[in-house]
Amino acid sequence: MKSAAFDFYRPSTLTDACKFLSDHQGDCRVLAGGQTLIPTLAMRMASPGSLVDLSLIDGLQAIRYANGELIVGAMVRQSGLERALKHQAHQPVLSAVLPWVAHPPIRNRGTVCGSLAHADPSAELALALLTLEGRVLVQSTRGQRFVSAKDLFVGTLQTSLEPDEIIVQAHFPMLDSSAAVGFSEFGYRHGDFAVASVLLVRDPRGVRLGFGGVDDVPLAFDMTDAFHPAAVKERILELARDLDVRSDPNTSSEFRRHLLCSLGDQAIAQAWA
Amino acid sequence: MDTKRYMNKNDRPLCVMTVNGTRRQAECEPRTTLLDFLRAQPGLTGTHAGCEHGVCGACTVLLNGEPARSCLAFAHQCAGLSVETVEGMATGGMLTDLQQAFSRHHALQCGFCTPGVLITAEHLLRKCPDPTEQQVREALSAHLCRCTGYTGMVQAILDVARARSAKQR
Repeated sequence: MKSAAFDFYRPSTLTDACKFLSDHQGDCRVLAGGQTLIPTLAMRMASPGSLVDLSLIDGLQAIRYANGELIVGAMVRQSGLERALKHQAHQPVLSAVLPWVAHPPIRNRGTVCGSLAHADPSAELALALLTLEGRVLVQSTRGQRFVSAKDLFVGTLQTSLEPDEIIVQAHFPMLDSSAAVGFSEFGYRHGDFAVASVLLVRDPRGVRLGFGGVDDVPLAFDMTDAFHPAAVKERILELARDLDVRSDPNTSSEFRRHLLCSLGDQAIAQAWA
Repeated sequence: MDTKRYMNKNDRPLCVMTVNGTRRQAECEPRTTLLDFLRAQPGLTGTHAGCEHGVCGACTVLLNGEPARSCLAFAHQCAGLSVETVEGMATGGMLTDLQQAFSRHHALQCGFCTPGVLITAEHLLRKCPDPTEQQVREALSAHLCRCTGYTGMVQAILDVARARSAKQR
């Protein structure tokens, strides 16, 4: 359970980090909070020749608001965002999901952008970004570009990013003050990976529904026609019946379908409270 | 590339940090975890190496005052930071009130998970001096105890919270 040896680069600028990543393409991984990468290295599921550490780069710790978005820098820890949002009414989705992201000692180190880059299908932050129709800003030696959440998550632990691209910011759209949110998750222990989760965002445009843990990627559905809780419940029942729902040794598809319905009921109750 | 900031896999640069208020240093490889750095220091084997992938919580320490898994940080990432381990709790051979309560409530059986649990419990009590049983249980959910001794831990922590707030009054 020890990592294989690797070269370690701790640059002070993003330009240096991108250059290093580009020069070592395919054999270098980006280290931010390390709460997923370090176990992966320890179990030798990955043994890259080098790591580039973002933690000494200035400016990546920033959390700010601009143009209707909450912008979260690459080195913002999950617990840091959780604290920053304590008094922020326009970001109820993140306030609802963050307490479910692993256990506090992990959130104290793990980063928001790192969780998105890891693309675990049960990850709460990936579900939040997708359901809010957010995006990430990525940087490489070729420059910067935005990637929408919809295009970012392509498979289990897979993103559409190139191997030399670094997520430098996550952009979460702010919600209208009249928006209501419901979030419910089932895990075998609070803080463990979600077996299934349901996120509902209700605002004047309609209802957005998100499912975590049921497929290779988080799923989001637009329901501009369903303003009534009974209609949303109906839609969740249909989806739970018709979707291809994954199974694993601990949890059958059948149980996950059941969970979607009961978690959906809880989320509806919160969103229409 | 900024070569001053680069370590070859075979390099063993000096890594310096503050552990329980004392300056500690070692020459270590990039892959050395904070956990291994600590345990290689004389007298600091109290931090236990359990699962070494962040699940069990036995290696939990305070990193700049916040609980973190020492197996999930590389030592060089912690250079210059302040670390508190279980050895920092008892002073002059006297157990703290929390440690005494753990003993009194039989909150440990084999004791393997205890160093990490004590760190989490002490941090909880500093941040939240009057926790509910639910809050204590949630904090403890970051730890695995193979002897299933959670009830004793919960009682010990609640007992200390009561005693400390009574003393304050």
